Amino acid sequence: MLLAQTTAQPPIDVPDVAWSAFAPELLVTVVALILLLVAIARGRQQLVAAPSALLFLAVGVWLITAGLVFPGAVVVVVGACFPAAVFAFPRRVSMVRAVVASAALGGALALTGWQYVAVLDQGLATITPQPALAGALANDGIAFFTRITVYLSALLVIPLGYAYLNERRINRAEVEPLLLLAAVGMVALATANDLITLFVALEVFSLALYVLSGLARRDRRSQEAGLKYFIMGAVASAILLYGMALLYVATGHLDLPGLGQSLALVTTDRLIAALGLGLVTVGMAFKISLVPFMLWTPDVYQGAPTSVTAFMAAATKAAGFAAVLRLYLVAFPGLQTLWVPVLAVLAAASMLYGAYVALVQRDLKRMLAYSSITHAGYATIGVVAVNDQGLSATLFYLLAYAVSTLGAFGCVVAIERSRHGEVGLIDLRGLGRTSPAVAGILGLSLLSLAGIPPTAGFVGKLLVFRAGLDAGLTWLVVVGVLSTVVAAFFYLRIAGMMFLEEPDPERPIPTQSSGMSLAIAVAAALVVFLGVQPQPVLQFAEAAAALLR
Amino acid sequence: MGWITVTIAVPLVAALVLAFAPELEDQGVRIVGLIGSVGAFLASLVLLVQFDVADPNLQLAESFEWIPAVDARVSMAIDGVSLVLILLTTLLTPLILVASWSSITDRLRGYVAAFLVLEAAVIGVFVATDLLLFYIFFEFTLVPMYLIIGIWGGAGRRYAAVKFFLYTLLGGLLMLVAILYLFSQAGTFDYAAIASLDLDPTVQRWLFGAFLVAFAVKVPLFPVHTWLPDAHTEAPTGGSVFLAGVLLKMGTFGLLRYALPIFPDATITFAPWLLGISVVGILYGAVVALMQSDIKKLIAYSSVSHMGFVVLGTFALNTVATSASVVQMINHGLSTGALFLLIGFLYERRHTRRIADFGGLAKQVPVMAGLWLLVSLSSLALPGLNGFVGEFPILLGTFQVNRTAAVLGAFGAVLAALYLLWAYQRMFHGPLEGEANTTTTDLNRREIGVLAPLLVLIVAIGLYPKPLFDVVEPSVDRVLVEVGVLELPVEPAAAVTREEG
Repeated sequence: MLLAQTTAQPPIDVPDVAWSAFAPELLVTVVALILLLVAIARGRQQLVAAPSALLFLAVGVWLITAGLVFPGAVVVVVGACFPAAVFAFPRRVSMVRAVVASAALGGALALTGWQYVAVLDQGLATITPQPALAGALANDGIAFFTRITVYLSALLVIPLGYAYLNERRINRAEVEPLLLLAAVGMVALATANDLITLFVALEVFSLALYVLSGLARRDRRSQEAGLKYFIMGAVASAILLYGMALLYVATGHLDLPGLGQSLALVTTDRLIAALGLGLVTVGMAFKISLVPFMLWTPDVYQGAPTSVTAFMAAATKAAGFAAVLRLYLVAFPGLQTLWVPVLAVLAAASMLYGAYVALVQRDLKRMLAYSSITHAGYATIGVVAVNDQGLSATLFYLLAYAVSTLGAFGCVVAIERSRHGEVGLIDLRGLGRTSPAVAGILGLSLLSLAGIPPTAGFVGKLLVFRAGLDAGLTWLVVVGVLSTVVAAFFYLRIAGMMFLEEPDPERPIPTQSSGMSLAIAVAAALVVFLGVQPQPVLQFAEAAAALLR
Repeated sequence: MGWITVTIAVPLVAALVLAFAPELEDQGVRIVGLIGSVGAFLASLVLLVQFDVADPNLQLAESFEWIPAVDARVSMAIDGVSLVLILLTTLLTPLILVASWSSITDRLRGYVAAFLVLEAAVIGVFVATDLLLFYIFFEFTLVPMYLIIGIWGGAGRRYAAVKFFLYTLLGGLLMLVAILYLFSQAGTFDYAAIASLDLDPTVQRWLFGAFLVAFAVKVPLFPVHTWLPDAHTEAPTGGSVFLAGVLLKMGTFGLLRYALPIFPDATITFAPWLLGISVVGILYGAVVALMQSDIKKLIAYSSVSHMGFVVLGTFALNTVATSASVVQMINHGLSTGALFLLIGFLYERRHTRRIADFGGLAKQVPVMAGLWLLVSLSSLALPGLNGFVGEFPILLGTFQVNRTAAVLGAFGAVLAALYLLWAYQRMFHGPLEGEANTTTTDLNRREIGVLAPLLVLIVAIGLYPKPLFDVVEPSVDRVLVEVGVLELPVEPAAAVTREEG
């Protein structure tokens, strides 16, 4: 049973709100709103900090007295961060925001762990799925795992981008609140169990990301990125919505389990259902950037501020795939014969196209953008496998991809800070000599992206390939292998530039700051940990295969 | 924790020391590297002592839980074939480090660490009895070798390093797909369980093909050998020695350990084809070696030819030829390793590898010339030296199953004499002319010391190969029994008595 329900018996006609089901999101949302207030208060932060701290303290104490000791303690600790941060950095508003936002995300991660222990883990081999908000939210393995990936990515991105955004003078008050809201939207997408919630969640995080991409107002590329992402995203959303409407017409259901049951019936109009499925597929493929709906990805990834790009690459993929997994495995199993071949072909095309086009790129961010298209293809193998292994493989793959890509983009940030502009391949010349730490971590991240053991990326590839083979998709796995070799070529080219070339005295050495170094180091440590000792996380991923149907 | 783990761990620990002790001076780095690699050699000697020669099965097994979710374990064990290859690896690594004592000064720490990591990974390849673990070690060897070629190599090193990496990666990934398929059939990555699978012959052929691609690239077999001349020519001396001495053996070892016993039907189906490909490789490598003007490239192509003999013997599928092919792996490691060392020493003095730049050196550097001749004779299989006790039984055993292949293969041995002796003649005989030739200095004590263990083994194996055959044969017979071409294990000494006279 959900713990919140035990605290008070709700009246009969009020919908049953299981607060514990979205406790992490609640915490992050409230902190995001308070951070906006902090931004408004400018010099008088204590005016916001003190009441907020009191509010959090009161809520925390109330929770503890109600028997929820751990969540209460988390709320109190996060609340204490407001006055602490204001006291520690009285003149640095941006630092206060960064500290508080990090605390909120750390608290969200802690609450996710609590959720698992208290609610989802019933001592069974699999996570126990729980519905919430009258079935609008599904608290199951996908939700649990995606929470970890998204909150972790956001938590790493804040220290990663802090000094970088400051130097570019774009660390404005809305950065952290938008980041937090984007993370909440992504998690909401991963928990959405009906089409409306799904769509709203998608818009919440998309809108936040549109603004974040265009954050650098004086940078034309950033402006272009923001606008392009917005326009194309809006079109994709419209198509998605149209598809959802058609699905509703065909079945009369908006909730995914109901949709799944009606779509499996022979009485359902196949044509309308198929049209709806097609349009929804287009919309979702846009969000996870599968070929041929990936046209926005290179421009947006290249133009957006690099720390935002890192977050988009790591977290958006995880959230988008979470929604795809739930949509296709819960709502569309009845139409499997239609979408499995289509998605398999899209996956194959993405793997090959991304790898081949990345070969000729000179700009590092653009190259990583194309490589993200390739990785979307790999993760899709787990979806089209349509089995529990595929599901857990995709979840693990996305986490592995998130940490590797955060490490890679983190190093790009370090180089970009000293370069004041785009980072081309040539800027990496001799980095292995001038800055062995950055080069080493970038090299490690690239090894992981290329799937060389013993890194996280290797375990991820191993799992998706295994799921694909078990599902009989040998051809898709062979395509994956071929594209891995092509992709290895351009990852190697980066590594070669860093380690095999002599440094150019003209090129400045990457700048590092303690926060950024910490974030990159954590990402690198996770890359190695997930590669050498994947069992604990893998166990979670396997347990996550239970879906709320 | 047994001695297999220790053998892998010692060089890794030394590499970690190098990574986390930045205050070490160059001399300290060299000494740490030497301690690590000599430590691994001593540990492998313990393995030799503990090894029961009479037992054909995998021994000294160690197994730890690793990823229960996919039933992958860190399980390791050795048989005779692994044992001799481990000994070769742990012997060559310290020699390589001593050989590079003065020639490598740039980023020395990385160089030594790369070799230590590479050594650990290669030993892992030879001891793994879990297919996933084997694959991980197999693939991971690429990274240090890529760096060794790419950072410390010659002018065309970048191209050579990338070519090496991509060729082997493609082969390896196809093998990964096959391994995953086997996993889906057996439910485990365990070698014994997978080897006892009863697979459909058609499926076997596909999977065998995938394994074959991975190993053929490594060996390298014609026509996927083209990365080897580039890699050998561009790699630093130590890299070439390790590549020829040990890395190529991962391919032939893989064929014998994995491809044959897991896919017996496919092995028998494809054996005639592989004999043909091997013969083509033997002759092609020899003919191309004959035409080289660069001595290092010449030896690289001679490797293609000699490794062809190893594959020829493996797929002759009888005790005589197949166990001789394992012996030939060791011989090739010793002779070609020694040749690359000599080329390296000469290159350090002259900074050229063109045969035409040398002449009459025998008068100027008699010690080097003498050793060069000895190693060349070993490589061309002169009776009394180690090459002969490998190649002759291979041809003998092949003759029993396929006369054409044996006769054509024998021409490869003739050509070997031609290209090796001709190169020797052009470089060391004739008039001593030109200032560069007359000022070349002879080998110093350190260099002779590096070569000495190899030379001793070359002569010792040539005169008395029985102990080596005794270690190898039971394991080879086990494989042949699993393939189904051998009914009862034959008397171990039968095949060797012929060579002792």
